[in-house]
Amino acid sequence: MSVQLAPPTQSTDTTDAAPAARPLWNPYVAGIALGLVLLASYLLFGWGLGSSSAPTRAAIGAMHAVAPAATEANAYFGPYVADGGNIFEDWMVFEVIGVFLGGLTGAYASGRLKFQGVIDKGPRISTQTRVAMALFGGVILGFAARLARGCTSGQALTGGAVLAAGSWAFMLMVFAGAYLAAPLVRRTWR
Amino acid sequence: MTMPLYALGSFDYAVAMALGTVLGFFFGLVLEGAGFGRASNLVAQFYGDDMRVFKVMFSAIVTAAIGLGILAGVGVVDLAALSVPGTWIWPQLIGGGLLGVGFVVAGYCPGTAVVATGSGYIDGIIALVGIMVGSVAFGFVYPMMEPLYLSGDLGGLQLHSLMGLPWPVLAMGVTVMAIGAFLGAEKVEQWVARRNGTAPPPAQVPLRNASFAAMGGAAALGLATLALPQVEATLDTPDVDTIAPSDLARALVAAPTDWYVVDLRSPEACGKARIPGALCLAEDDPDAAFLADLPPTRTVVLVGQATAEVPASAHAYAGQVRVLDGGFDAFKANVMTPPEPPEVPTPEAVAQYRLDVELAGHFSGTATRAAPIQARPKAVKRAVRKGGGC
Repeated sequence: MSVQLAPPTQSTDTTDAAPAARPLWNPYVAGIALGLVLLASYLLFGWGLGSSSAPTRAAIGAMHAVAPAATEANAYFGPYVADGGNIFEDWMVFEVIGVFLGGLTGAYASGRLKFQGVIDKGPRISTQTRVAMALFGGVILGFAARLARGCTSGQALTGGAVLAAGSWAFMLMVFAGAYLAAPLVRRTWR
Repeated sequence: MTMPLYALGSFDYAVAMALGTVLGFFFGLVLEGAGFGRASNLVAQFYGDDMRVFKVMFSAIVTAAIGLGILAGVGVVDLAALSVPGTWIWPQLIGGGLLGVGFVVAGYCPGTAVVATGSGYIDGIIALVGIMVGSVAFGFVYPMMEPLYLSGDLGGLQLHSLMGLPWPVLAMGVTVMAIGAFLGAEKVEQWVARRNGTAPPPAQVPLRNASFAAMGGAAALGLATLALPQVEATLDTPDVDTIAPSDLARALVAAPTDWYVVDLRSPEACGKARIPGALCLAEDDPDAAFLADLPPTRTVVLVGQATAEVPASAHAYAGQVRVLDGGFDAFKANVMTPPEPPEVPTPEAVAQYRLDVELAGHFSGTATRAAPIQARPKAVKRAVRKGGGC
């Protein structure tokens, strides 16, 4: 059974000539597996999964190394670096290192790992535009995740599972925002 | 109840970080297997041709919610010990909409950008760099964003308590809705595929149906736990937590709508003097049977004269119950009586004194003023609540 997710014309990484990658998991099976991982997190620790605060901590840590005084004086960054604590001694930083290793392992085992590195994009935009879009979209993501106190992992998934009202509101708005913006950036993908 | 293990003190933070790495590994492995390490697979959701983002996310939410319900129902996990993301409705609505835009522009969300980086997608690591820049940008404009960031604070609001339903009932409701929406999503995929002249994602009907049956069956099992004798309620009888008068006073000032203060003394005594806002017992309800009918959205605080006997009806209340330590006498002596100025005016003592004076004024209904003290109070550091979540 072969799973063709995107028609070949939509991706540019065919040059990577990977040997036939294994099909993706059935989405419902993957969802149940993801739910069990999330459940395990709650049972082990009392909290769920997350992602965005790891890059936030990396950025603040880098800033603190370059400009310690300014970072400590900032109303938002200050508490992260207060009391001389190591900003990377944080559960979620380690969890996200695990996510990276898990992604790498999964991609390798399934033949989906792009050893050379590729850029995923639609056929109608240049690589430079796609790079700019990824960067710009990332800036929006980083800003939005801090404003909402979490992202699709820490709010939607994690808060959704414990029936947190605000997380459900957040999740509906993520889908609403993405559906509204999708036609505007169609050229990036289609 | 033995779980959650860390929150109930089974191991320390260093172990938690090590275990977190292992757990994250499986998180990444599953996300990669689901196809979330590649932008095309993710954005396909928003062009309608493959709705796996929705299917995976909601299957996961349903699975975890059902699992927590079952394990709480059989008394293994303490739901009250779980950390629930707080609701700040405005920043969540606006941040959510913005994050959705970022998702479709970048092709990733933060977690999937990490997986994409691990899978060898250069656009994934570029999105990660953008995320770092964006979070730093938020920090720089934080003073401007603070009113929005702190607005709409509704506390740890949860859907089941909002609707006054037991957890497993709501979990079942979400499961039924999710399965309906999954079938709808498959219809949309087929429709889009027909319109584009492409093939829809493989149906894999037997696997799909088995997944639906597993979720539905587990949700039904969760409902069945409701029929179990409520062992915990009787076992917990001597264990109702107390709350100190000063803690209650501060909590009442900070968030009066988080609490029901129920005065268990005789209606006459309660009518004469009580904690402002407290509910007195009715003449015909000496056992506080009305507690069972209150919506379980707040914490009930039981107030006796010097201690409080916990009435049986308090166990019928679905929300949390506390007993005021020392009863009304202690509250009156510690909170409603204006304090003496500190003899040694250390900044901490002065700050405490001023707080106590304010609280005494607030709860006795008399505007008392703090006596002047010749010392500069310590500057109070502004506490900013940060989301732990993501």
